[in-house]
Amino acid sequence: MMNLLVLRERLKSLYQKSEMYINPIAKFLMAFIIFSCINQTIGFDERLDKLVVVVLLSLVSAFLPVSIIVLLAAILMIGHIYFLSKVLSIITILLLFILYFLFLRFTPNLGLIVLAVPVLFILKIPYVVPIILGLVCTPVSIIPASCGVIVYYFVLVIKNTAITSNNIGIDDTLQLYTLVVNSLMNNKQMLLSIVVFAIVIIAVYLVSKLEFDHIFDIAIITGLTVNVLGFLIGDLMLDVSDKIVEMILGTIFSTIIVYIFQFFRLTLDYTAIEKVQFEDDDYYYYVKAVPKINVTVPEKNIKRINRRSAIGDTEKLDEVIHASKTNRYADQVENRTDKEYEDDDYRNDDFDNEE
Amino acid sequence: MLNNNKIHVMTKLAMYEKNEGKKDIKLGKYYRTDYVRFHALKTIVSVTIGYLLILLMIVAYKAEYIISKAVTLDYKAIGTYVIGIYIILLAVYMIVSIIAYSIQYDSAKKRLVVYYKNLKLLRKLYKQEESEQK
Repeated sequence: MMNLLVLRERLKSLYQKSEMYINPIAKFLMAFIIFSCINQTIGFDERLDKLVVVVLLSLVSAFLPVSIIVLLAAILMIGHIYFLSKVLSIITILLLFILYFLFLRFTPNLGLIVLAVPVLFILKIPYVVPIILGLVCTPVSIIPASCGVIVYYFVLVIKNTAITSNNIGIDDTLQLYTLVVNSLMNNKQMLLSIVVFAIVIIAVYLVSKLEFDHIFDIAIITGLTVNVLGFLIGDLMLDVSDKIVEMILGTIFSTIIVYIFQFFRLTLDYTAIEKVQFEDDDYYYYVKAVPKINVTVPEKNIKRINRRSAIGDTEKLDEVIHASKTNRYADQVENRTDKEYEDDDYRNDDFDNEE
Repeated sequence: MLNNNKIHVMTKLAMYEKNEGKKDIKLGKYYRTDYVRFHALKTIVSVTIGYLLILLMIVAYKAEYIISKAVTLDYKAIGTYVIGIYIILLAVYMIVSIIAYSIQYDSAKKRLVVYYKNLKLLRKLYKQEESEQK
């Protein structure tokens, strides 16, 4: 464990020193994985399904904001689908617009999640997303996560349609459209994923807000359990048992990734160096502000205070009152009678007067 | 001569302006009601567009049925149904967006208060410097 902590500190200082280079490289790698995944899954258009295109797109996204990656990925996806069938591409655009206008417009900072879910689905570890979202975000993140699930299953439907459409006759616009909508609407697996992801996000979020030692570990384990149970029950109900082994392995891998993420998160959050420029009448300033924080994981210490002795002791009284504000002790405090409270107030006044 | 206090305050201000401040300062120009109303209007527009797109998709999906029964369909009932759902959808979105944008406005205002305090401090430092020079 000590070695790991040292490694983390080293990586942290390395990141602080060369943040300027690491950020674009990380973005490039992320974009590269995303675009390759799209090409691999729905690479219908051979002109776009080339390494050169992927590398070029990734290079562009390395230096632009993250939302550009989302936009580029959507364009690439539509491009591939357009090559397959114009009707399908129109449906895709409509679907993306609906998702945007009704849901994603309200969570602009979480746009990347919509992309991350399908890509991680392709990599077989989508379960990373709800657990991390539960740890980092609020339950609002259910919206982009659900949209991501819809996009993934839509892509699957398109892919399946592409395989079978030779028999149907791709010219029959209406029939093709009905087929796609039908297979999307009747997709129970999609619904199951949305529901389980939402439950996992809420469960992890609620647990991680409690006050216990090692709460983040407990929250991650809760996420893992809820995820496995949810999909297990769902899969058995839908009678698709062939996916169960894959799901369990995927969840375990996802949990490992979440653990690694969690290990670095609490420090990486604070390490970003700020570079700002400003001027006054005499000088131009180029300031590099390096955060001083060098504290590792903040430990939550919990003091157990005996009810009786606390009331007798004015010094500890403040702690009791403070503790009563946190939910953890709410039940302990509720047990006290009004009389006892009055006593407390009385003693408190006494204490103040003495001062 | 460099004034360390001044640089400190200016750095703080610049860092805020570079990050959250960008949005907050724009938001600070609105009154609370105006800000919430403006975003509620935007929400209405986007929900309307989204709903119309969904309707378009449903109509296309049921096109065959609609064309075959175009004469006998009860348009009044369908119309009421469509508008009813639209109103419910809009109401839900309005409530959520009014609450969310109010919260957003309040938290931004809190940050702006600190920002203005720092600005005042900077002005004070400037005046101090001037008086020292004289």
